[in-house]
Amino acid sequence: MKNIRFHVNGKESNVQCPPAKTLLDVLREDLELIGSKECCGKGECGSCSVMIGDEVICSCLVLAGQIENETIITVEGVGLRENMDIVQEAFINEGATQCGYCTPGIIVAAKSFLNSIEHVPTTDEVKTALGGNLCRCTGYQKIIKAVQTAAKIQNPFYAVK
Amino acid sequence: MKVSEMEMISPTSVHECLHALTDQQKSSRLIAGGTDAVVRMKDRNWMPDIWINIKGLKELRYIREDASGLHIGPLTTHTDIVKSELLQSKADVLTFAAKEVGATQMQNMGTLGGNLGTASPAGDTIPALYVLDAHIQLSSLHQIRSVPIKDFFIGPGKTVIKPDEMISDIVIRPQEKNEIGIFEKLGPRKAQSISIVNFTASLKIKAQTRQCIGGKLAFGSVAPTIIRAKKCESMLLLDPLDEHMIQNIAKVAWKEVAPISDIRASANYRKDMASALLERGLYRLMKRWENK
Repeated sequence: MKNIRFHVNGKESNVQCPPAKTLLDVLREDLELIGSKECCGKGECGSCSVMIGDEVICSCLVLAGQIENETIITVEGVGLRENMDIVQEAFINEGATQCGYCTPGIIVAAKSFLNSIEHVPTTDEVKTALGGNLCRCTGYQKIIKAVQTAAKIQNPFYAVK
Repeated sequence: MKVSEMEMISPTSVHECLHALTDQQKSSRLIAGGTDAVVRMKDRNWMPDIWINIKGLKELRYIREDASGLHIGPLTTHTDIVKSELLQSKADVLTFAAKEVGATQMQNMGTLGGNLGTASPAGDTIPALYVLDAHIQLSSLHQIRSVPIKDFFIGPGKTVIKPDEMISDIVIRPQEKNEIGIFEKLGPRKAQSISIVNFTASLKIKAQTRQCIGGKLAFGSVAPTIIRAKKCESMLLLDPLDEHMIQNIAKVAWKEVAPISDIRASANYRKDMASALLERGLYRLMKRWENK
């Protein structure tokens, strides 16, 4: 057991857990942040995506002992029902979700991507940015559209490439 | 050993880390990005008593140039490589290869040192390190040695790294002004896939012509380790690289690679694809050269 201190969604967290427990399990079991999902467990599907700093990573492949003093943002930190983020609103308005299992990971990946650019992304750019997130029911058209819509709403003066 | 009983230490300097590696009382393994190590832990293949977490060792994450070449710290992530202007201008092949590793998440997590240590025959950045004559610096408490990349791998998943050693620097030669590179990969899907075959080239070309005056070609996933295509390389110098010449080199590539059949593809398919990737790669490379 190890005491691990880090920041999640703006709050300081102290967790007692085995250091080789995955960050995903810590988030879900110790902190009850159950937005992030496990699917493949080996970094292929992106369902467990969270941000460490401003970079999106797969939380199923990070061990708890590695996150000491890190700043983590999960889908709950992007926005909840009462303070929904532009990206989440865009996903609802574009109908970019079906069963919803992959959605939290995609929202986090999309948020991190939109934070890193200052224009409305092209379809190819969105495809590259979200290449690590699999969705097995909707097809990707609406997801791509939602990310572009969010970029437009985020800043109406963004150039459309 | 249960996963819940594993310990972890996070050394704050390379020296401290080497001390930990020297202590052979308990089994240990290094972990950085975790994209491979954690998957293997979950498969119960890697079950060390202690994980030595080096993710936070800032002193091993850098990209810089000096008289001896370009130095890349082993903890440099693929994202760092893709974004580096120094590497874009002086090691373009490596940035192209790093861009094709996994997808965003894996590029943010995975490190160059990890890609080397994992020693997969399908590792995407490794052929680029071959054509850039990489030297891998290995440190232990007692010595520092430099191993040329061609001697670094012994087989799939196996390298010359000793239990008390770690990769402490990766040195590559900068490309010359008239040198241009390309990386081609064939996988089942665009993002996140493991290469069925990959091909890397870096060629020096005489200004205003299509005459190659020196070049290196490497294939991944077609042999137990990465291989240089030496016969194809010697053909590069014979005649200007026109369509006919490129097709001839591609035919030789078919004979030069020695792949196996496995879960991802058959040996014959890999040979055909090695040939096709070389042809496509050299066409694209020459096109870029002409537009430069």
